[in-house]
Amino acid sequence: MPDRSAPPAGAAGQYKPVSVLAGAPPWLEMRGITKVYPNGTRALENVDLRVAKGEIHGLLGENGAGKSTLMKILSGILPFTSGRILLGGREVSLRSTHDALAHGIGMVHQHFSLVPTFNALDNIILGRGASLASPDRAAARKRIQRLMEETGLHAPLDIPIEQLPVGTQQRIEILKTLDRNVDLLILDEPTAVLTPQETDQLFEVLNGLAARGTTIILITHKLREVLALTNAVTVLRSGRVVGSRLTEGATAQDLARMMVGTERLPEVKERRQHEKTEPVLRVAGLTVKGDGGQDAVKNVSFEINAGEIFAIAGVTGNGQSELIEALSGLRPIANGRAYLLGHSINGKGPRELYRMGLAHVPEDRHRLGMVAQFSVLENSILGVHHEPRFRRGLPGTLHWGKVRRYARDLVHRFQVVTPSLATPMRSLSGGNQQKLVVGRELAKSPSLIIAGQPTRGLDVGATAAIRDLLVDIRNEGKAVLLVSADLDEVLALADRVAVMYEGEILAILERHEFDRERIGLLMGGVHDGSAAG
Amino acid sequence: MDPRPVEQRELEALSRRERQRQLRGTFAGLAEIVVALVIGLFVGALVMDGAGYDWKLAYEGLLIGAFGDQWAIADTLASATPLILTGLVFGLSARAGYFNIGAQGQMIVGALAAVAVGAHVSAPPVMAVTLTFLAAALAGALWALPAALLKATRGVHEVISTIMFNWIAHYTALYMVFNVLNDPRSAERTVRVLPEARLGAIIPGADMTAAIFVAVGVALFMYWLLWHSPWGYEMRIAGLNPSALRYAGASPLWSVNLTFILAGIAAGIAGATQIIGRPPTYALYGDLSNVRNLGFDGIAVALIGRNHPLGIILAAIFIGAMGAGSRMMQIMAGVPLDMVRIVHGTVIIALAAPEVWSLLGKFLSRGRARREAASTAHSKTVQR
Amino acid sequence: MRKASILLAALLVSLLAVSVGALAQGSLAIVYDVGGRGDLSFNDMAALGGERAVRELGVRLTEVESASTADFLPNLRALARSRQHDVIVGVGFLIQDAMAQVAEEFPNQKFALIDGFVDAPNVMSISFADHEGSALVGALAAITALENGGDTVGIVLGIEIPILLRFEVGYRAGVRWAVDRYNEIHGTNKQVRVLYTYTGAFDDPARGKTAAEAMLGQGATVVYQVAGGTGLGVFEAVESAARGQGKVVGPPFAIGVDSAQDYISPGFIAVSMVKRVDNGVFEAIKRALDGTFQGGAVTLKLAEGGVAASSVEMVELFFDEAVAAGAKTPEEKAVAMAGVRAAREAVPQLAWDLLNELDSLIRSGEYVVPEALDRDTAEYWRSVLSTY
Repeated sequence: MPDRSAPPAGAAGQYKPVSVLAGAPPWLEMRGITKVYPNGTRALENVDLRVAKGEIHGLLGENGAGKSTLMKILSGILPFTSGRILLGGREVSLRSTHDALAHGIGMVHQHFSLVPTFNALDNIILGRGASLASPDRAAARKRIQRLMEETGLHAPLDIPIEQLPVGTQQRIEILKTLDRNVDLLILDEPTAVLTPQETDQLFEVLNGLAARGTTIILITHKLREVLALTNAVTVLRSGRVVGSRLTEGATAQDLARMMVGTERLPEVKERRQHEKTEPVLRVAGLTVKGDGGQDAVKNVSFEINAGEIFAIAGVTGNGQSELIEALSGLRPIANGRAYLLGHSINGKGPRELYRMGLAHVPEDRHRLGMVAQFSVLENSILGVHHEPRFRRGLPGTLHWGKVRRYARDLVHRFQVVTPSLATPMRSLSGGNQQKLVVGRELAKSPSLIIAGQPTRGLDVGATAAIRDLLVDIRNEGKAVLLVSADLDEVLALADRVAVMYEGEILAILERHEFDRERIGLLMGGVHDGSAAG
Repeated sequence: MDPRPVEQRELEALSRRERQRQLRGTFAGLAEIVVALVIGLFVGALVMDGAGYDWKLAYEGLLIGAFGDQWAIADTLASATPLILTGLVFGLSARAGYFNIGAQGQMIVGALAAVAVGAHVSAPPVMAVTLTFLAAALAGALWALPAALLKATRGVHEVISTIMFNWIAHYTALYMVFNVLNDPRSAERTVRVLPEARLGAIIPGADMTAAIFVAVGVALFMYWLLWHSPWGYEMRIAGLNPSALRYAGASPLWSVNLTFILAGIAAGIAGATQIIGRPPTYALYGDLSNVRNLGFDGIAVALIGRNHPLGIILAAIFIGAMGAGSRMMQIMAGVPLDMVRIVHGTVIIALAAPEVWSLLGKFLSRGRARREAASTAHSKTVQR
Repeated sequence: MRKASILLAALLVSLLAVSVGALAQGSLAIVYDVGGRGDLSFNDMAALGGERAVRELGVRLTEVESASTADFLPNLRALARSRQHDVIVGVGFLIQDAMAQVAEEFPNQKFALIDGFVDAPNVMSISFADHEGSALVGALAAITALENGGDTVGIVLGIEIPILLRFEVGYRAGVRWAVDRYNEIHGTNKQVRVLYTYTGAFDDPARGKTAAEAMLGQGATVVYQVAGGTGLGVFEAVESAARGQGKVVGPPFAIGVDSAQDYISPGFIAVSMVKRVDNGVFEAIKRALDGTFQGGAVTLKLAEGGVAASSVEMVELFFDEAVAAGAKTPEEKAVAMAGVRAAREAVPQLAWDLLNELDSLIRSGEYVVPEALDRDTAEYWRSVLSTY
């Protein structure tokens, strides 16, 4: 990583301050921005942000801190209640994305807005609102090729988007934005879907852009990224600015403290050692088909012992989802066998597997793990609703009184913050939703718990709570299969790590073998040979 | 420090807040209905006034015709009887996530079955009535099944299949009325059901029969099923989020079939109530005019009743009252039936509008959730 | 809340009773069929009779339409219960069951039933010699076909109920009589076949249209509709077929029924078989007021003005009725009436002559139109009348 406090590479040896905090003149100023939603929610309170020309500025904060809201205001998507926005010293009015783009402000969103069946060229032309007819095309192709040369953002222009890897799609999205002659590029969590290698490539490109004078604002909640890339950082918490500081000299602990208000880092609890026993889960030569009929999981074998967190690391989409769906009875096993406590799980459905001692925190909790429109109460028995303990004497009648007691207990034990048990699940924050889902699954007192991306999208506090719970049950002697795209999480929690790439397990590493660099390379499919076997 | 009291306090506060919320929800719901009713009646009054009718007298007539005396009330309930059942068809299905508009066809088939069994199977009175209802329920369920299977196995949208089955039922019924079940002495209708299969008027001089109890019973059963049984819990999940149902270890396919079959049973019974539970003809007319539109009116009933079985009972009585009241609107105020229908329509739209919105919203948000699930990036959390 | 509403309702009822009682000099109530007012046919004819009673006898008129067959009984009861009406008229065959029931429940109330029969001392069951009127238009249809080089006529009916069998057989009889007469005059040996369809509905214009189109496709020159609202589709089919050939006046022609429907599709309806339901309704209230009301069956024949072939004057009267119902505007009248006259002129003179000849033969009793009220009899006459 280049050191951002040093003068940029192309600056002809002369030091130029690249942050307002380091004495550079402010180019973008947001003064006293306040945003109140019609329902009275105060999303932003008197927020100031000052960024210099050519600066890479980090915008750090937990989920719901107001980062995205602030940037949506800057890119003309949301109106604000009060405050001023100045660009180069002059106040500007940004009532639409069109206004923002006219002032050279463009935003790359978390969810790409590309037409999957169109190629990059067409998508970029569409981005300008131009016609796809041929006279425009040749000119556009030339222009974009020049842009790719200048920025180092290379992408194939003639392949349909849906056939390209996510990292490439993102480059196209950035190209599409830059093609609108953007001076200020806003990126919303750009690394969420990238491999470490793709992330590094992206950072190089961003450094290059900044050196050419493009100003970049990076929304993130990853401390490492802020430290690696930015000149300065502004931290938001609950809609207010906690502070702005130069990145130089800052530590992860400093930033985390600003972000969450305590020094609590996602450190995990003490782990207790266990005696080796019979494996809880044994997977032998498992092959699982994906939605398209291809082999999504290819001949995978591993064992998980009691009192162990076995993690599967890998970039999203390399067969992890299919693997856990097969192990939890949601997807048929095409070939191979799997045994839970010695009993075969082939052909068993979720309910039978639950009876055999399996609990499952699904990757996609909105789609699988909960019914968003149902109340907290109703969600608390999802999957165990058929059990006699929630029945009344009259055959088949649910005893809501018993369910209520059960739900109250869950809410209390797992510290789910909810206005009431009757509150619809969708009104809860993501962290509290997940706490209920995890709690519900742990309450099944399983022998094996499969946890798919258990902290994805959660804020720091909720993340820590969930991680603590996972370590707790490990310490109780249960087996945990953790699937996570977050390498930090895997390294912090796992006893052993298997790295999946294109449906295969490339390597299984013991805790003492953990090495960020090596796992990152494996995740990107780079097999150095030393860990094979 | 003893943690118990704190915990206790927390939990108590939790239940208190829960009760308050529920109370507020109920109150808001009632207020919404009252406002909608006032708006609907106001627009209706404007329309009648504009057309030169005495709207005050018309509304007086409506009230008298619907609730003015014991006969009026009985007629209101008689009109409400089939609507409770056809309302349940749509309401139950909507709860399970389907736009089942097949009540009309299932009801027609139920009516045919009621004629076939009621007119030909001789048995002691209670037995004959029970057999006739069972036959109608079975016929309605069987008629609903193809739509469920097409949906579950081939992905055929239930709106398309149920509309088609409505028409198949319609023309099948015409054929049956004129060619198979026809009364040779009275070609415009089927044979009458045997006297022992008929339900008599409870209050002499009004049409209400014991069929109302059957309808209310079915509604109460549906209420119990949806909110107090694990199967209903699963049906509601199937409607909102079928993937979650699979995750929870149940089969969405089974829930679809169960929903359609139960809806078909309700519709079939609705058909039977019009044959054996509505004096004086006890037969099906050749133009199907004694089951006309009842299936579709059920949709309005369900929307007004917020797809809740108990709400549907009230909504059906309300619509029944409008129907019963319409004769006095005509008799007292001279408002012609077409105008009466316009007024009914405005009131019904006003009452149903909020539910239509929320149903639309539900379907849209389901689409959005699917798109979000499809995208790979971070899942959305609620901004607070 | 409900108690209050009942009290309020009771109060209102008593107020109403007093106010009505004060000015009543006879009161007539009419319960219409499903489909009801605005059918420009049967029900509107009944309304016309009611209006005539208001005009000529000074009675009060109360009208109730029925949303479904299940409404017949409560509608009749509500009227009977009020004890304000000298006679309650039910329009249409389908009301029969309900009227039988109510007549029993309210033995002191006088009822009249149009087009059906209830065996009760307080019900006057009025029917019309539909077969006689249908024979008249059948004669006209047959000659119109022959004079235009055709050999086919059609009849589109509603539900296959006894009364409609009577229409069909009467129509066939008229056709046969006219063809025989034509051959007699011209010394020829022509034949005319009769196409018939029971659509199974009185309120489905789409089906009427399909049925008529099929007949026109088989060469029918004239199509007689006996299908209530379904028949409006017959008019549509005939008019669009004629206009498709660039004509502004038939042939092909349709024939209307029940009321003088000629103006509905001006230029393309040759004549209508008018069933004087208005006379039936008027007769019922008149007899109730002058004390000659009697239960039992009353058939109003051609000779008694029960049925007739429509005249231009009748059409004008009905046009005004349609204006009142909102189906037509007064401005359209001149154009429509011109079309009606043009249609009548386009019908061969011989057709009118034979219609009038048959009319006087029926009136004098020299020709008796066969009557069929069940399927077997109808089948018998179908074969007899079409065998040459």
